[in-house]
Amino acid sequence: MLTRRSLLHSGLGALLAAPWARLARAGFVPDPYARSVGATGRPKQDDEIVLGVSAAFSGPSRGLGTELYRGAMAYFNEVNDNGGVNGRRIVLKLYDDGYQPDPCVANTISLMQDESVFLLFGYVGTPTVTRVLPLLKKFRDQQVYLFFPFTGAEPQREPPYGEFAFNLRSSYRQETAGLVDNFVRIGRRRVAVFYQNDAYGRSGWAGVREAMAAHGETMAGEATYTRGTQFGASMRRQVEILQARSPDAVICIGAYQACAAFARDAADLGLHIPVANVSFVGSENLLALMREGREDPDEHTRFLVNSQVVPSYEDTSLPAVREYHELMSRYDPPPPDNVERITEGEPYDPLPQSFVSLEGFVNAKLITEILRGMGDEPDRSRLEEAVFAVRNYDLGVGERVSFAPDRRQGMQRVYYTVPEGDRFVPLEDWETRFGPA
Amino acid sequence: MKKPGPMTRSQVVQVRKLFRKTRFGIFALFAVVVLSISLLSISTVSRELRDEYVSNSRSIAKNIADSSVDILLNRNLATLQSLIDQFVEIQSIRYIYITSDTGEFLAHTFVPGIPEEILASDPNATEPVDRSLPGLGDFIEVGSPILSGVAGTVHVGMDLELLALTIQRAVGQQIYLLCIIMVVGVLASIWLVNLASRPLGELLDYVAGLAREHASSDRPPDDNGILVRDDEIGDMARLMQFVADGADDVRESQGRRGG
Repeated sequence: MLTRRSLLHSGLGALLAAPWARLARAGFVPDPYARSVGATGRPKQDDEIVLGVSAAFSGPSRGLGTELYRGAMAYFNEVNDNGGVNGRRIVLKLYDDGYQPDPCVANTISLMQDESVFLLFGYVGTPTVTRVLPLLKKFRDQQVYLFFPFTGAEPQREPPYGEFAFNLRSSYRQETAGLVDNFVRIGRRRVAVFYQNDAYGRSGWAGVREAMAAHGETMAGEATYTRGTQFGASMRRQVEILQARSPDAVICIGAYQACAAFARDAADLGLHIPVANVSFVGSENLLALMREGREDPDEHTRFLVNSQVVPSYEDTSLPAVREYHELMSRYDPPPPDNVERITEGEPYDPLPQSFVSLEGFVNAKLITEILRGMGDEPDRSRLEEAVFAVRNYDLGVGERVSFAPDRRQGMQRVYYTVPEGDRFVPLEDWETRFGPA
Repeated sequence: MKKPGPMTRSQVVQVRKLFRKTRFGIFALFAVVVLSISLLSISTVSRELRDEYVSNSRSIAKNIADSSVDILLNRNLATLQSLIDQFVEIQSIRYIYITSDTGEFLAHTFVPGIPEEILASDPNATEPVDRSLPGLGDFIEVGSPILSGVAGTVHVGMDLELLALTIQRAVGQQIYLLCIIMVVGVLASIWLVNLASRPLGELLDYVAGLAREHASSDRPPDDNGILVRDDEIGDMARLMQFVADGADDVRESQGRRGG
């Protein structure tokens, strides 16, 4: 019988591929290249599980999409080299959205309808994910879930869309509450916010507002920037707006290029107060931009403090961090070169280690565990059940992970880091470093 | 008594120049019509487009207000921001902000910050208001209450510069059309005036010939084309010839009596 495998293994494979595909599309022969999942929700190919990814692989936030992918691939490569998940390789189908909502929606439709991926994985950003959630609800009968998006926003954690997504990382609400609590504790009660003027920024803004209210305070001031702003842009106007409010600290809810520009201009204009960033910022990319080409590389970074949702990649006392180091060294995954709909192909210099790639690594570790739990016949209709079977699971990051119908976020911890040289290290003492105002 | 001399060519041209006044009159009339219609058009288009802008703004503000209720009650401000970000992509909408019932700004689209003028304004106002925001431009702002105002108010700012551009474009098209009509009308009127002035000129030439003949006894030939015309010009030429012939007869009879 003429099968895909026999064709591919023969020298005729390449020659016959195109006409065979045309016949398959016409329905005369079985489609040998059909990917992933059939109408039943089971993967069509018995040797692969395809995960659909739409993320920023171009534009000012490409570092986030690329590092998240690299971290995940370090783990998936290891899994695939060791026989995959119950004999199936894990394959990522990548689309670029440049961190823009409309392309992300179009990509997701393609991933769900044309590529028929088994699940959606590793999306990057709040404005993108927020717009995709209604799609998941619209196609709820297909039971395509979004796993572990790189955003801490609330929409995928709350009704009406919370049931279509599973989160691993802590939320922005938790990150901002932690930052505010610590600032207030050391006497810095006038906290201002600098944020990206979109759903992501608003999510963080809302977190700060809520946390301030819990301390009986209101925000000292706010300033915004437009998504996609580059490091070369001036943020002096934003700094002046906040300076006029005399804040004790600023919490930035943005991407690394704009936040680096803001911290640079704040330091240049004499706003010498702690400037905090949440995990989405991409700490290493931020630091690299701020130190690059400066006589005193620490000139602009002394007042930075970044919250993280994974432990420090320097903390090799944790088993997952040791594994991350080992697999990142062994595979050193290159930036992806097979991305659909990529808008720009700028060169990107990968980071040896980063919080973002560690998060991607941990995401991959958990999704692999969930897929393993589905047995030999993975089926989307049993995916939710497989997720809820994860109870007290030790990912090796110092925090056990559990899921349940009313608990769709795996990890709850927030870590605080400060720059030391060219990397971020755990912040030991807020009082000594930043207090009092 | 001194006899009238023959009409010179320059006299004939001067007579034809009389029609220039007619042409000028027609041109002036057209200009007044174009100007009046343009002014009326600017006023009407401006008013109607502004009304349409306000109406659109109201619809959008109401749409957002209606969509915001559940989102606000769920405290989901990221989704609320996502909602207004989609609306602000519509051309001519320049800003949107949502205030709570207590006047707190819950979501907005301003960069780098909320303008002082907006901060100082009534957060629950819904009537259209013209705003001039430094560094941003001129706007019409309308508001729409959320849950009759108990959950807050949506404010939508429409760009007046774009409105002015739309008005200019609409009026410009009308004026362009009117100018074409005016040029065609003036050319047509010139042609019509020429059509009337040419036979008059020929009549004048003929009468001048008769006068010359009266002075020199050198009559213009009777086969002049103007005498066979069947219009008023022909009638006048034939009348002039009859009068000239009569004058000749009188002169001849006077000559016989005297001779």
